[in-house]
Amino acid sequence: MSADGMTPWRLLRGTLVIMVAVFLLAPLAVVVIISFSSAPFLQFPPPGFSLRWYGVLFSTPAWTNALWVSVQLMVPSSIAATVLGTAASYGLVRGRVPGARLITACLMLPIIVPGMITAAALFGIYRGLGLNGTLTGLIIGHTVLHIPYVVAVVSSALRVQDVQLEQAAATLGAPPWATFRHITLPLIMPAVMSSLLIAMILSFDELIVSLFVSSARVRPVAVQMWSNLLGDFDPTIAAIASVCFLFALLVMAADLALRPGRTLRIG
Amino acid sequence: MSMTTRRTVLAGAAALPLSARAQGAMDLKGTTVVFASWGGAYQDAEKVSYCEPFAKATGATVVQDGPMNVAKFRAMASSGTPDWDVVDITGGFLEVAAKDGLLEKIDPKLVTLSRIEPRFVHEYGVGCIVWSYNLGYSTTAFPNGAPTTWADLFDLKKFPGKRTVLDQPVASLEVALLADGVAPDKLYPLDVDRAFKKLDQIKGQTVFWTTNSQSQQLFVDREVVAGIILNGRVYDAAQKGAKIALSWEQNIQAVDYLVVPKGSKNRDAAMRLIDTMTVAENQAKVANLIAYSPTNIEAYKTIEPKLEPWLCTTPENTKKGFIMSQLYWRDHLKDLTERWTAWKLA
Amino acid sequence: MRAVDGRIWLILPAVSLLAVAFLVPVGWLLSRAFTFPEPGLQNFALLWERPVYMRVMMNTLIISAIVTPVTVLLAFPVAHLMAHGSARLRRWLVFLVLVPFWTSLLVRAFATAILLQRHGVINSFLIGFGLVEEPLPLLYNMTGLLAGCVQVLLPFVIFPLYSSMARIDPGYMRAAATLGAPPVRAFLRVYLPLTLPGLVTGATLVFISTLGYYIIPALLGGARQQMIAQLIQDQIAAFGNWGVAGALSLVLLAITGAMVALLHVTVGLKEIAR
Repeated sequence: MSADGMTPWRLLRGTLVIMVAVFLLAPLAVVVIISFSSAPFLQFPPPGFSLRWYGVLFSTPAWTNALWVSVQLMVPSSIAATVLGTAASYGLVRGRVPGARLITACLMLPIIVPGMITAAALFGIYRGLGLNGTLTGLIIGHTVLHIPYVVAVVSSALRVQDVQLEQAAATLGAPPWATFRHITLPLIMPAVMSSLLIAMILSFDELIVSLFVSSARVRPVAVQMWSNLLGDFDPTIAAIASVCFLFALLVMAADLALRPGRTLRIG
Repeated sequence: MSMTTRRTVLAGAAALPLSARAQGAMDLKGTTVVFASWGGAYQDAEKVSYCEPFAKATGATVVQDGPMNVAKFRAMASSGTPDWDVVDITGGFLEVAAKDGLLEKIDPKLVTLSRIEPRFVHEYGVGCIVWSYNLGYSTTAFPNGAPTTWADLFDLKKFPGKRTVLDQPVASLEVALLADGVAPDKLYPLDVDRAFKKLDQIKGQTVFWTTNSQSQQLFVDREVVAGIILNGRVYDAAQKGAKIALSWEQNIQAVDYLVVPKGSKNRDAAMRLIDTMTVAENQAKVANLIAYSPTNIEAYKTIEPKLEPWLCTTPENTKKGFIMSQLYWRDHLKDLTERWTAWKLA
Repeated sequence: MRAVDGRIWLILPAVSLLAVAFLVPVGWLLSRAFTFPEPGLQNFALLWERPVYMRVMMNTLIISAIVTPVTVLLAFPVAHLMAHGSARLRRWLVFLVLVPFWTSLLVRAFATAILLQRHGVINSFLIGFGLVEEPLPLLYNMTGLLAGCVQVLLPFVIFPLYSSMARIDPGYMRAAATLGAPPVRAFLRVYLPLTLPGLVTGATLVFISTLGYYIIPALLGGARQQMIAQLIQDQIAAFGNWGVAGALSLVLLAITGAMVALLHVTVGLKEIAR
């Protein structure tokens, strides 16, 4: 792209990006503002200021437990999905696997099969294995559900990635693992990192499989919210959403502070 | 057998074990009973009113689970080893579940059925609360008089504004027919074509709600001015300051039941928890907490008087309304849901 | 040199997990389309006889087909700026795209409803500034649904697209300029094709994800925005009809597979040429 100043295209691009930014951030702002509302409804603008919902949140064990369960669920499952998915992508794109297309299609199935079917199926098989109501059962479920996203994103990056660099390394005598570690991985790291983050987010929001597999004691935030939605809800859910947002902000800020020269490993 | 004779027989049959139990309390120590319901404030009320007294009297541990999810219930009940022992389900699902063999029969030796109004007692479940579909309306939108009957809901001229209707044919079709002039005792079997034709009159102005919170939110946000809403939702919203009220004319009543999924390994303990639910004071506790109506009329002795205008089983409100036919819906839910979907798409 | 190497074993963990924890249980459940309540094809016959199912399926495909290009169009400038802007800007953009997601989907959907409703912020703004007289119907219709879906799905397009864009050798565009191509032409003929791998990946993800949605349509869509996942859920939950649910799922799978294959064949061929 040209290096000159503000062309009409740049203006258009900038405008669109700002529109998208507002579009993504506005609901978030609403959520945070409502969490401080004095009204017991999701009313906007709120009639008054109050911290009571945060009070409810931190004094209700159900919510704090749910938050902890969510963390324990999304970290291992997203890491597992990323590792397995990246390995599979590499094998499928670089290795000469017979039926690679078919295998890739199968790996995509968890996105296409309706969530309720997957949930009921897992619920059924877990009963025999005693995995319902366990963190392990949830982690396995979420890993399986999110591998397709990792495979899609990482495969795409691998295909764009020039294979000659790896071949050159091999010709120079580097063993495959070294080639991967020192050449390929750093180059696809943006894709790997973004799929890790996507898997984490998906796990945090995942409702239907969690609804089936969880129990009252092992229950992630999404299910707890759903449970409240069925009954009555009040700005407590806005409070918990804001707390999660604050947590994410802190993580991002920490990354910015600790690695000033680099971005969040996206590129 | 007349009503009174049946009650006497039941009372007699239940007499001996009950007195024995009264003496030998705390005999369920070490047993865990899992109680599943719909979550939120409702389940909290049930926990306090049924589960805690039960636990206290018998020494059993009651664990709360849920939220109730029909698909999950089916999956576990049809497997023969359900994780839940006592479940709160809707009357509509009760009939279907009973027919599909997913429930244990209620044991009259362990549950004091005589305490409950007979119309709320089923072979496979005991009614715990009664709720109703009412005409809800905004108190600020109609300065010249509020809508009171279902016909008013369809009168877009006299009462202009958007409507909200539950996204299901259940109760919606009945409302349409009642609005069109059909008498409650002549409703079933439903004249479906007539109902949909009536509904077409407001379809363009209707927002369909799927979760209870949505129904409240729509009124609070002034998105709608009138609609079909559950009585407990209106009470809750009004308590929190929303400008909403309801009419009891032609209210359509429905019942929630406590059931025991087939194959529960704590069947007897589960039945006794259900028995705790039948106690008048416990039912009054629930009503005082969340304004859903008791199935044991004795409960009214300890229900706060300010709640009575909000409860469906008071004599006055019972007269104005009727109980929806669970049997009709058991047989027609499938077809009518398909038709409802098609109608919405049209 | 190009023999089958050890890399083939890398696919084993993912495939094994998928086979055990997904293919087997789901496959069994879906097979009930052919066996529940009795063996045979009557479940599929039912879908054929009752037009409502195929109509909702069609509706679902149309909705996905609308959501996908809108999401891609909005993702494009963001990914472009991420790829070609300064490192600092990139950081902020990543922040912008990811951080909203740490607040739950459900709550954001309700917040979106609050913004879009008739007495909500957007309409108040428009009316207050005299831009419109009556509130615009932005909610409980396709607009509301679009707003909800696009919000959720943007990262699925932005990241793959960014991945592709970041790898584009600036030499190509310089060459095009040197050869006298006007910027628009260079963009359409050189740049855009090079972003195709990421674009196709993103578009595919958005399309198939949207097919399975039912919560967002329920909260933000209207009567006409009915999607097949809700019907499948009804079949299982309300009717215990695993057979019809399975049949519907298999039909959905078949259609999705066909559409994705079509997309990749028509658009993806160019990447094979590399």
